[in-house]
Parts: sequence; C-alpha cells; structure tokens
Amino acid sequence: MNSARVAGVSKKFGSVTALHNLDLQIGQGEFVALLGPSGCGKTTLLRLLAGFESPTNGEIWINHERVADAAGRKPPEERRIGMVFQSFALWPHLNVYENVAFPLRHQKQVPDAYKKDPRARVGQMLEMVGLGGMEERFPSQLSGGQKQRVALARAIVFNPTLLLMDEPLSSLDAELRMQMRKEIQYIHRELGTSIVYVTHDQSEALGMADKIVVMKDGRVEQAGTPQEIYYAPESLFVAKFVGRSNFLKGSWSNPHTFLLEKAGGQTQPISVSRDYASFHAHRVLPVRPDQLKLKAWHPGMDGVVGKVTHVQFQGRELLYSIQVGEEEWEVVSDVNERFSYDEQVLVEVHV
Amino acid sequence: MASNWQTVVTERQMGERRKFAASLSMEQAATWMVLVPVAFFFVYPLWKLMALSVKTDTGLGFAHFAEVLTHARTWDAVGHTITAAGASTIISLVIGVSLAWLCAYTDIRWKPAFHVLALLPLLIPSYVMTLAWTQLAGPQGVINRAASWLAGTPVEIWSVYGLDGIIVVMGLTHYPLVYMLTLSVLYRIPKELEWAAHSSGASALTVFRNVTLPLALPGIAGGGLLAFISGLDNFGIPAFLGIPENISVLSTLIYEEVIGFGPSAFAKAAVLSIVLGVVALAGTGVQWLLLRKSRVDQTSAEDKSIRRYLGAKRGWVELGVWGFMLVTGVLPLLSMAATAFVKAYGLPFIAENLTWKHFAFVLFDHAGTRDAIRNSLMLASLTGILCVLAGTWFAYWRVNRPSFTGKIMEGAVALPYALPGMVLGLAMILTWLEPIPGWQPGLYGTVWLILIAYVTRFLILQVKSSTVSIMQVGKEVEEAARINGGGFWTRWGKILVPLYAPGMATGLFLVFLTAFTELTLSSLLWTSGAETIGVVIFGFEQAGSTTYSTALSTLIVAAILLLLTAGGLWKRYWQRRVEQ
Repeated sequence: MNSARVAGVSKKFGSVTALHNLDLQIGQGEFVALLGPSGCGKTTLLRLLAGFESPTNGEIWINHERVADAAGRKPPEERRIGMVFQSFALWPHLNVYENVAFPLRHQKQVPDAYKKDPRARVGQMLEMVGLGGMEERFPSQLSGGQKQRVALARAIVFNPTLLLMDEPLSSLDAELRMQMRKEIQYIHRELGTSIVYVTHDQSEALGMADKIVVMKDGRVEQAGTPQEIYYAPESLFVAKFVGRSNFLKGSWSNPHTFLLEKAGGQTQPISVSRDYASFHAHRVLPVRPDQLKLKAWHPGMDGVVGKVTHVQFQGRELLYSIQVGEEEWEVVSDVNERFSYDEQVLVEVHV
Repeated sequence: MASNWQTVVTERQMGERRKFAASLSMEQAATWMVLVPVAFFFVYPLWKLMALSVKTDTGLGFAHFAEVLTHARTWDAVGHTITAAGASTIISLVIGVSLAWLCAYTDIRWKPAFHVLALLPLLIPSYVMTLAWTQLAGPQGVINRAASWLAGTPVEIWSVYGLDGIIVVMGLTHYPLVYMLTLSVLYRIPKELEWAAHSSGASALTVFRNVTLPLALPGIAGGGLLAFISGLDNFGIPAFLGIPENISVLSTLIYEEVIGFGPSAFAKAAVLSIVLGVVALAGTGVQWLLLRKSRVDQTSAEDKSIRRYLGAKRGWVELGVWGFMLVTGVLPLLSMAATAFVKAYGLPFIAENLTWKHFAFVLFDHAGTRDAIRNSLMLASLTGILCVLAGTWFAYWRVNRPSFTGKIMEGAVALPYALPGMVLGLAMILTWLEPIPGWQPGLYGTVWLILIAYVTRFLILQVKSSTVSIMQVGKEVEEAARINGGGFWTRWGKILVPLYAPGMATGLFLVFLTAFTELTLSSLLWTSGAETIGVVIFGFEQAGSTTYSTALSTLIVAAILLLLTAGGLWKRYWQRRVEQ
C-alpha cells in the first residue's frame, strides 16, 4: 500500500524546469530520503508533496486521494501532513506548549482523545523528544537542538500518516546531528509514519532511510535501498555523489570481466559479480575504497602493483592513497597491517 | 497499477477539480486587484495634473507654460526655493554628520536620550517648530527682548522672519534625516577597515578623511538629498516665515495661486507644480541611485561598539552637543509654551501675567478648533487604519510574489510621497472634481477628499515599515502554520499579525502622527467645516492671534510627546515578550 505517489510530475518555474516527468512511490511506513546536490529539485518535490507549489504536469496522490494535478491543488492546510522545516519555523510569540498544540486545534481528523486533553498529548510528545516539562518556555529560550525537537514534536503530535522533513539537521552542529539522527529513527520506529526526508548529506540518507532516491537536474538518477545505492551505483553520478569512488580505467571484454589497464599496455582481468552495464560505455569500473585490499608486495609477484603516496590514520581505519600507474586510488583498510609511505603494495579488487 | 489509482477517484474529488481551477485564476485576480487601484489612486492624478497644464482654450499647447515661465515672480520663487533648500541642506549636513559620528563612534554618555533629542525636530511638525522659533527669535521673541533688556533700549539682533530665517529653521528641521541615514551607514562600516588604516600608520584625521568618510558617503549624500527634497516640499516654514515678508517659494506660490482663484489659476498652479515636481523627482532619482550603490553596506551587520575614546575632551564635547540640542530643539518649544501662558501677547513672563485661559479657549470655547481637533483625530485614525490594512497587504504581496510589476507598483505608490505635498494636493483637486468624465462624486470641499489625499500620500510609509517586518519574519513560519492546518484567518490572526506587529505598529504610528499634524495638503483642500489642526493654527497665525496659535501648538507638542512615550513603552513590552 502506498502512502503517497507522484506520477509523471513536471514543475516549471518560468522557463526553468525544476522537475522532469518524475515518478515516485512512498510506501506505508517507509522512510524515503531524497538525496542530491543543491538545485537538483529535491526541495521542489517536497514542496509539491506539501502543497506549497502546483505541478505543471502530472498528479500527486496522498493516502489514495488525488491532491494535485495540472489543473490545481488541494491547499497544504487540508492535506494533514506533518512537516519539519530547515529553519525549525517555530512561532516565536508562542511558547512551546502553544507551538505543539497548534496542530491539535487546527489539523483535520485529530483523534478526539487528543482534542479533549491537549495538555496530556503535548506532554507525552515532549517526553518523547526529551523535553518533558518545558511547556512554558519560549523558542528564544531554547538551544538549536531543543528547537529542532519542538519542531519535531509539533510535526508528529496529531499522528500524521506522512511526515516531510526538509534538511532538518543542516542548521545543527555535528555532534547534535548524530544525536538527532537516532531520535528521528526512534520516532519513525515508534510511530510507523511514512517519512520523506530531503538532504544533501549522504551519511544521513545512508544511515536512516529505507529507500534512497538520488536526484540530479530534476530527474531521479537512481532509487534503491542504501546498500544498493552504495554498493551498486548505476551511474557515474551516483557512484561519485554517494560515498567515495575510484574509477578504474580499462575496458569490458564481456559483462562479467573488466580488463584493467596497466603500465606498458598490459591488462589485468577482474571478474565482477553484478551488472555494470551503465559503466560499459565510460570504460570504467567504479570501486569503493573498502572494496580494495592491500597486500605486501614481493619482487616477482604478479597483479596490480602500486606505491603508497599518503597514509592517514583515522582511528579504527587507515586511509591510503595508492599510486597505480598514472592514477591515484583511495583505499580504506583496517589498522592491523600497516604500510608506510613509498612502500610497494599489491592491490586486490573485490567487487 | 495506475488503473487501480484511477478507480478511487470519487465524485467528491472530481468536484474539487473545479475548486482547484479557481485557485489559479485567483492569483491573476489578485494582481489585477492591486494593479487597478494603484493606477487609479496613485498615477492617474499626476496624469490629470499634466493634462491640465497643457490644456488651453484652443486645444493643447504650452501657453500656460509660456505665461508662467516669463513671469518674474516665478523665477523669484524658483530662486528662493533653490536657495532655501540648498543652503538649509548644507546646515543639515554639517549638523547631521557631526551628531551621527559622535553617536556612532565615540564614548559620549546618555546615547539613547541623545538619539531621541536628535530626532525630535522630525517628530514635531515643521510649522509648529517654526512657530516656536518665531517666539524665540522673532522681533518680539525671547532673544531680542533679552538683548533689549541688556542694552536698555529696544534692539533687534536677528529676526527669524525672511529668507535667512527660512534657511536656518529648515536646516535645523531636516538635519535628523542626514543624521539617521549617516548613522546607519557608520554602524555598518567594518571597524577592521579603520584599524587596518591605523596600523598602516595613518593618523585619526587621515583615517576619517580617507576611510570613514568615503565609505559613509552614500549614506551622507542620500541624507543630504533627502533634506534637499524635503526643503523643496516644505510649506509650513516658508508660509510662516516668508509670506509675512512677501517672500515666495514655489510651494507657497502654488498655494497663493490656488487660493487666489484668479483666471486659469489651476492651470498656472499646475505649471508651477510640474516645475517643482520635476526638480523633486530628479532629486529622488539621484537619491535612489546613491542608496542603491550603498546596498552592499546594508547587508553587513551593525557594529555599535565604541571606536573612539574622547578622553579628557569628553565632558566638553557633551556640553557642546547637549547645549546645541537644547538651544535649537527645546528652547524654542519652551518659548512657545511661555507665550501661550501669558495673558496678552508681549507681556513679560512673570507670575501675575500667567493664565490658562488661552488653552481653555482653544479647547472648549472656539468651535472651529474643536471641530478641527475632531477632524484631525478622525482623519489620522482612518488614514492609519486604511494604510495599515492596505499597506501591509501590499507589502505582503510584494515580498511573497517578487515581480517586475510589483516593483513598478511600489514606485507608483511611492510617487505621491516623493512629490511635494502642494503638487499632490492640486492633483487631488483636479482628479476628484470629476474622476471619470460625467461622474462628480462631490468629494471636493469635504474631509473625505483630505482622507483620500492622506492615504495616497502616506501609504508608502506603511508599506516600507511593514515590509521590514515581513522580510524579517520570513516565509517558513507561515508555511508551518499552513501545513499544520491553519486556514487564512487562523494564519493571519494567530501567526502573521502578531509577528508583523512591530512593523505594522511602527507604520501606523508614523502615519497617524504625520496625518494628525499635517498642514500642506489640508491647507489646499480644506473648506469651512473641514479644517484640520494644522489649518487652524495657520489661520490663527495669519490672523495675528499668536496666543491661540501657540496654545494649540503647545497642546499638540504635549500630545506628540505623550504618544511617543506610549509607543516606546509598548515597543519595549513587545520586545521583552518575544525576544526575552
């Protein structure tokens, strides 16, 4: 069952096309991350779902109801959606209680129990986001993280079936971001609400989402689980944008064998376990830094040989730069076996 | 899959399709609903004015221009206008820049009080200030009487009547404009720029001349031009100080032409208006260009830290500045109040000569004054309410739907304020006698025409101050209310109005105050029964009833100070509530 569906939607602002004939499904209880660089159309798509913009073409469905098409749209106030804004958008003249209780009074189809006793419901929500007893505070008296929690409580207080989040963590500092990720996951688990989460931060998307939709120039570049997006990118852009990638140069002798170019015109065959069709034309093989293994090299050994040009200690792992012919590859390996600067190493590819 | 989705389309949803369609054309309708009134109220009157100036008995032509522009009196007035506006601007620049620098950069004390006192001349209507000056420096004023007493014989050191008086009072009335614009630019000059010059070996004077002054120039020049335009526009000062000496400037000449009702009076006045209007608009254009140039500075944050310590000189500087502001700002008002309290004009200010009876007379016995106070209160309230509604709506539309049309329309709304009041007043008469051929609404000669003129002239003040709040509050706050189910009335009532309140209130306050004490427009548009406070004070003064004009003016000053205090307290309360 779908919670929301976008069918053939295009959006033009004047002569600029922000979205090209886009399709997307958000399943019941699914956590979907829209990931892409700025200007890729992810925020436009979110605003279309919210109802702040009308599609130029196509249809938007929420909970089995068509809410927008080329002819017009149902306004946001009638869509019964929760939303968390990038700037929190708390109302500064209302205290925390009044902020969180607002949807209980104005949203459609709020359960009677909540309406009868809004104090109890708001209290329960504030407990859930870790702000119990802060009802009387004003937004200006809260820290950034606390504001974001209030915004979150306000977005979920009326039990929405769909929750939209527009880069909700981008105005917080690094430590708070990690903390809030856990809280958002917790809330998603507890409430079972479908979430559409816009971000340009790949680690947020990889860490929290059930499904990642990578967007570029108003089109969906690839949609899939975090594992699929990370280990099976289907385009150069996805391979580059999500996680780091080495693009090994060579040619494809058949769909299962990549012939890596080596110095002196030699080639080294690498057998691959999945379909790399979209990379055949580019004559490259995308390899994640953790898909490369380093081994000590001894004279006379055959294989791909490189030289260590940089080593960076990262705590639980080491980040190497390895010079292979003309190319420099990035390799991540554990700290057990350490190679030092200028050392010759054997590089194995496991894809 | 898609067909499954299609099957759940119910009749109800198909019905909503029509509602969707309506919402789109609503946006276009909104544009037209702004465009048509703006064109009719703000642009059409000026068109009428231009049309009249070229309409002759035989058709179209420049006969009126030829007649008016060959008249020696016209060129006298043009000369006086330029001289008064120009020389007073120099006074305003010297005072305004010095005070702004002292307030922004140095460690002088009691800055909030300093700031209020520096703005005082702008808050008190210029004709009241002028009247106050006649009581301080007129032939019978405090200064000349003190001098006579000291000399033992009647002497006249200086009289404020005449062109020199106009220049001095105008300069002292308009320096707050230079002060405000310079102050905001000075705060925004990064102090690192000055430190860099100091560390490169420049002396304090060199830094001021080569770094501070050039950076502040757009603000200073903008303020200077504003003072110049205000000088062209001003009617009260030359009317009180020039007419008795038979010195005309363009604004008083237009007034006399229209009031004189000679043959083709309106046409001749229209020609004069166009001359004055063109000069004023050229000034506004240059000012706009200058401020646009300085926009880079507007984005940087204000830095209000002290940059210059005056050391041992501080006490002397404070004494000089406070002495200056008290003598030029407060002493005239006290002289005016003193006149209002003496039994008969000219008697010495001693206990046995004092009386309340002039205040009682203007408040209770003189029917014209009572009506005028009622009219002015009503006009100011209605103008304030109409402007706060229309102005906030316009500002909201402008901020949320930025477009070229919107920019043009804001220019149109600003036009009646940029034009001299006398010019607008004449345009109002010409338009509303017969707005559409064949339709005479009978507004001319009633307070309602004054109301229309006030709203037309002052709307831009409200638009500007509402815009500031609307931009500060931002869009997401309203979107948060929408997505949480807030409909139109909920959004405006519970979220937007409380958050836009500072800008709305500032504008309302400014419009109310300006309209309450307005003189220029109402001096042209009033008729018996439709007088305003300004008209009555002007009338008393022309009739030589100085004790009454000073009594009423003193009451007005007291009311303004009361209103300012109330406004200040409200602002403090509101800030404490929201910003905590």
